[in-house]
Amino acid sequence: MTAAPQVDGRAGAADDPVRGVRGAIEYCYERGWSDGLPVVPATEADVAEFLATVDRDADEVIGAQSHLNRRVTVAQAAVNAIMAGCRPEYLPLVLAAWDAVKGEPASQGGAWQSTSGPAPLLVVNGPIRDRLGINYAGGVFGPGFRANATIGRALGLIVRNGYGIRPQELEQATQGVPGRWTLCIGENEELSPWEPFSVAGGVEAGVDAVSAMLIRDCEYIDNRHTESAEAVLWDIADTLARTGAYLGIKHSTGGVVLGPEHAQFLASAGYSRADVQQWLFEHATRSQADLVAAGKESHDEDPGPDPFPMMPSAAEIPVIVAGAANAAISTVFRPFGWSTWSGRSVPVPPVSDTATHTQEAPA
Amino acid sequence: MYDSIIDPTLGPAGDARGRTALAPRPGDLSGLRLGLLANTKRNAEDFVEEVAELLESQHGVKKVLVRKKPSIVNPAPPEMLEELRAECDVVVVGVGDCGSCSASAVADGLQLEEAGIPAVVIVSDAFRVSADAMATLQGTEGYQYVTTPHPVANLSRQGVRDRAAAAVPEIVALLSGPNAAAAS
Repeated sequence: MTAAPQVDGRAGAADDPVRGVRGAIEYCYERGWSDGLPVVPATEADVAEFLATVDRDADEVIGAQSHLNRRVTVAQAAVNAIMAGCRPEYLPLVLAAWDAVKGEPASQGGAWQSTSGPAPLLVVNGPIRDRLGINYAGGVFGPGFRANATIGRALGLIVRNGYGIRPQELEQATQGVPGRWTLCIGENEELSPWEPFSVAGGVEAGVDAVSAMLIRDCEYIDNRHTESAEAVLWDIADTLARTGAYLGIKHSTGGVVLGPEHAQFLASAGYSRADVQQWLFEHATRSQADLVAAGKESHDEDPGPDPFPMMPSAAEIPVIVAGAANAAISTVFRPFGWSTWSGRSVPVPPVSDTATHTQEAPA
Repeated sequence: MYDSIIDPTLGPAGDARGRTALAPRPGDLSGLRLGLLANTKRNAEDFVEEVAELLESQHGVKKVLVRKKPSIVNPAPPEMLEELRAECDVVVVGVGDCGSCSASAVADGLQLEEAGIPAVVIVSDAFRVSADAMATLQGTEGYQYVTTPHPVANLSRQGVRDRAAAAVPEIVALLSGPNAAAAS
């Protein structure tokens, strides 16, 4: 290795393991391996410990960008998971989440390089949420929860380091999306009135699973005082139908993460998840005049119906339940491009029996 | 001191890409068969069509083939490349006006050159960095292309026509004469 320039925190670590830590982190920064936040430097021993949690060949190629001549392996995913701050037992979920993102049509069309700069939204179902401490309750989109923060972040580091797609280089995001750093939530199955989201993705209830979408925004719906389920739905439909998110040419879709209070309110008024989707599809419309005002009207001979449905179909409006049951707040999110959720959740295999954790955190 | 830290960027070896030698330049475009390779971004096809019209009227080329790529991120598929190779003497590629398509337009230019077809790539100037990054990734650092001011997608047809006219001298220079930077 060529000698790195001396920086603070790099002085001798022989008698105190902590003294070299900052220098090691600086070393990673200097090489461009970080998304901006500190990374955990990974060693061979760390990688072995992580790989022991999965029954996978370390050299198995798990993703490729043929146009960039780049491929990534299970071992490389482990290295980046370590760097993101994951614990070894997160690796099966990181790999499943990677598969889920890769399976989304949206991730196939240059998404990682796109000016829209989408972020992978991960939704976790099953007992693994409690096992790994994945937050699905209060502050579900926010900081403070290691598993949420580091599992989402690992995917971003795999893209950056494994594919070599970095901002202002091959990644050309105009503004980017805050969640591109990390955006991993659990579904609040316990307070959801409906079956787990992953069931819609083809995985049996109670089985650990992760679903993924590449998204461009999260926008809140705050509606606490109405006694009408339809008023809440109308408010959500209004956000889904905003013209700024409409790309023209074809429909783009939208989804909603209902807070448990909204979800239970809707369910108590008799709405199933499919009913919610149908209502939102029918009411997330804009007049042709609105589309003209925004310069987004169709120039085809037949410009489509008036009012114009802004969602492609009821089934393509994902409905997830997450957060605390302490206020009637929900969030609309917007999948990237003209894609929609693939409708496929990926099961997470249990941690491999061979795994031993030599680096338990000190008590 | 930090030799034990694993480099997270080291993956399986990709295909080694040597520098792409540019196809021999014809010197004069007169009478040559012109192919157009467009992507699906708004105005891309109109832009290369306007370029073709000017090349026909001013330089005596004959437009024989127009192809639109099915993917904005990937280079043209082999069958499309083969069509262009079989039927055209020179090809105009464009317009790289997004994050991934600017890079893939450069990859198209290089694969056409490799197939022996002189090509010129048009990229909007906001995407120089990703176009250059792709050229380097493909082993051909310094590959020359033609830029047009960003944005392209919101131009009227007349706006596209004006831009095409402004780009034509450079397009002709890169298609007909030696490309100094990339020929080395």
